[in-house]
Amino acid sequence: MKTAGIIIVLLAGALLLYATRDFPPWGALDSPASTHVSPRYLQKAMEETAVPNVVTAVLADYRGFDTMFETTVIFCAGIGCFILLRVFRQRPGDRYYRHIATEITLHIKGGRIPKKSSEFERIDALWTPYDLIIKTVCRILVPFIQLFALYVIAHGHHSPGGGFQGGVILGASVILLAISHNMRTAIDRFSEKTNNLLMAIGVFIYTGIGTVCILLGAGFLDYRSLSAVLFVDKIMARSHGIFGVEIGVGITVMAVMISIYNNLASAGKQDEGL
Amino acid sequence: MLNVIVIVLLISGLIFYTGAAVGILRLPDFYTRLHAAGKMDTLGSLLMVLGVALFNLHDFLWTQFISSLKIVLILLFLFILSPTATHGIVDAGVRAGLKPWTKEQKK
Repeated sequence: MKTAGIIIVLLAGALLLYATRDFPPWGALDSPASTHVSPRYLQKAMEETAVPNVVTAVLADYRGFDTMFETTVIFCAGIGCFILLRVFRQRPGDRYYRHIATEITLHIKGGRIPKKSSEFERIDALWTPYDLIIKTVCRILVPFIQLFALYVIAHGHHSPGGGFQGGVILGASVILLAISHNMRTAIDRFSEKTNNLLMAIGVFIYTGIGTVCILLGAGFLDYRSLSAVLFVDKIMARSHGIFGVEIGVGITVMAVMISIYNNLASAGKQDEGL
Repeated sequence: MLNVIVIVLLISGLIFYTGAAVGILRLPDFYTRLHAAGKMDTLGSLLMVLGVALFNLHDFLWTQFISSLKIVLILLFLFILSPTATHGIVDAGVRAGLKPWTKEQKK
């Protein structure tokens, strides 16, 4: 069985290698891609969309439908992880509480969950005291990371960046908080409910912009029709439409990153973990 | 004149990087290797990035000044973060129970 698998893989690989011989050489001037497709975008993208970064213009405007489903794929990945990993009914297992004043640790086995109080703090089973230096530096740094993420999303028109990259950086800032403090701190600030809602809201913003275009009498994701709502000319409407779409992508990517991390690190309990 | 300063900065940064590379390969255990990587990485990157920021100011324009400012900001964050990361890794090593190398131990 194993040899049969290897033979099939080798055959398929040889076929693929044989097929690549028919491709035009790398960067050939007479290949179909560089005779009319690339020059068209390179020459017209700026005057048609007012976006200097051609990659962003192609990604979010000319090929906007493709990017919409890329966002949906990420959303589905987040939902998939959520459904596979999340444990909904959990018995209250062993819990550890520490009396802050005396530093005595209580071990509670099962039973009712004690109320929150200011004298006790809940600690993880594999608890190690969090390092002051790392905690402080991460707390100072998180706002700067988030600011940079917003810059990457908003500056995608002019420089490399955009919704996907900015969303990942935004998600990383919250994950950094979970790593440097603990998971409960991060979930207290950014609850699971908000996060899962944001996952859907991002995709909703993207498709919503497309639907608004239909309602204004143009095709799906044809941003030119947005000029009637945004009070700008048709070219700038395309630019603003791309920006709106990028915001949707950023929100979804951020929420999915955080959701996948939380579910993996806490084995679906979203209770204690790294 | 500016070129000379930039070249001096870049070369001294490079010396620190070489030191770090040799240190990571030659030093006996986890902590000493991390010492080489952490300390020299901070100083090496500091000097090299400073050299790049200065070189960018070759023709003094407002836009060039802004991008130099951004490079200096990278430098600032690097200066805070690189030691913190090293500290975190060493802290994890101590907690995991890794004993530092002593002279009695053979390599």
